[in-house]
Amino acid sequence: MMAAAQNGDRAVYRVLLAEAQLWLERFFAKRVPPAQRDDLVQEVLLAVHNKRASWDPSRPFFPWLAAIARYRWVDHLRKVYRSAEDELGDHDAAQDSEEEVVMARMSLERLFVHLPEKQVEAIELVKIEGLSIAEASARTGQSESLVKVNIHRGLKKLSALVEKAD
Amino acid sequence: MNRVSNHFFDQLAGDLAPVRPIRRSRGIALVAVAAIVTIVLVALFGELQTHMIAGQATPMFFVTNGMLALLGAASSLAVVRMATPQVGSGHEGARWSAGMVALLPVTALIMLGATHFLAAIMEDSHGVPCLLASITAGLVTAIALVFWLRRGAPVSLTSAGTYAGVAAGAIGSFAYGLTCPIETIGHLGIWHVAPVLVGGIAGRLAIPPLVRW
Repeated sequence: MMAAAQNGDRAVYRVLLAEAQLWLERFFAKRVPPAQRDDLVQEVLLAVHNKRASWDPSRPFFPWLAAIARYRWVDHLRKVYRSAEDELGDHDAAQDSEEEVVMARMSLERLFVHLPEKQVEAIELVKIEGLSIAEASARTGQSESLVKVNIHRGLKKLSALVEKAD
Repeated sequence: MNRVSNHFFDQLAGDLAPVRPIRRSRGIALVAVAAIVTIVLVALFGELQTHMIAGQATPMFFVTNGMLALLGAASSLAVVRMATPQVGSGHEGARWSAGMVALLPVTALIMLGATHFLAAIMEDSHGVPCLLASITAGLVTAIALVFWLRRGAPVSLTSAGTYAGVAAGAIGSFAYGLTCPIETIGHLGIWHVAPVLVGGIAGRLAIPPLVRW
């Protein structure tokens, strides 16, 4: 489908965008609050559109889409503080097994595995759950400046891991 | 709930125009052309040590320049691949090549000892000119790689900048090395490796803002 889209086939492209949208919603399900997820999905789809020439037809599509999604997600973490009332829901849709395997391999959870626990904790509380620095400090026992340092270092490390699979 | 509006899809589909996919082979060709242009420019402004290239040099000349050429190729390939991102892409080749080139200053330190090593840094009058000429020569490759990254969609900007700088430094040092008549480990291991280090740091700092998207 993406190869047809690169050739300018609009009908196929529309189908591809719809499929990509569903895939991205599942991809971001546990790591982005619902209120921000739509904007992020839209942002990634726009990036896909603008950078569609960067997909090599000889390579698989989803690892390319996942790399762009991760890149935009790390950017999003940098920019956005989630409002406290937003809740992370369990919005996982049923997935067929092959897709599930691919997604598991490329998921956002995989990135956190490479970060020290304290950095993950600080990012999750402040950037994903929307706590203030002071609240995160009280919750974790880290000083406020340490929470900030851990967020900064964690995000820096995440951005270096975008293409990492394992 | 319609998460992303149909209007948005319509806009993107309406805006769709055919594009030519970025092929890694074209990126490799671009770097190869940049390297050749660099050598030609260096030959125009300097004097190629043709007798040395023909075999009358010490092994150190071939080993050093061969390692720099390999590092330049491996790092360039990493950058070319980064323009077409994929989860699962690794760039171990460039990392190992950089480690290999790092053996040169380590060898210089072991062979010369700390005192003479420092003397080679402080007193080698050809050192700084070699460093500056190599960095200047590397600019052609740097420009080519930045152009390539801007066409693509790099997602690891700091790594892309670092590898691009290392590639530029290594190819510049390799090209200029073909004109340098000094073959000692104290000179080659320090002043012909330094452009790689300087290029890597400069690329890490300067290139990410140029290729951010």
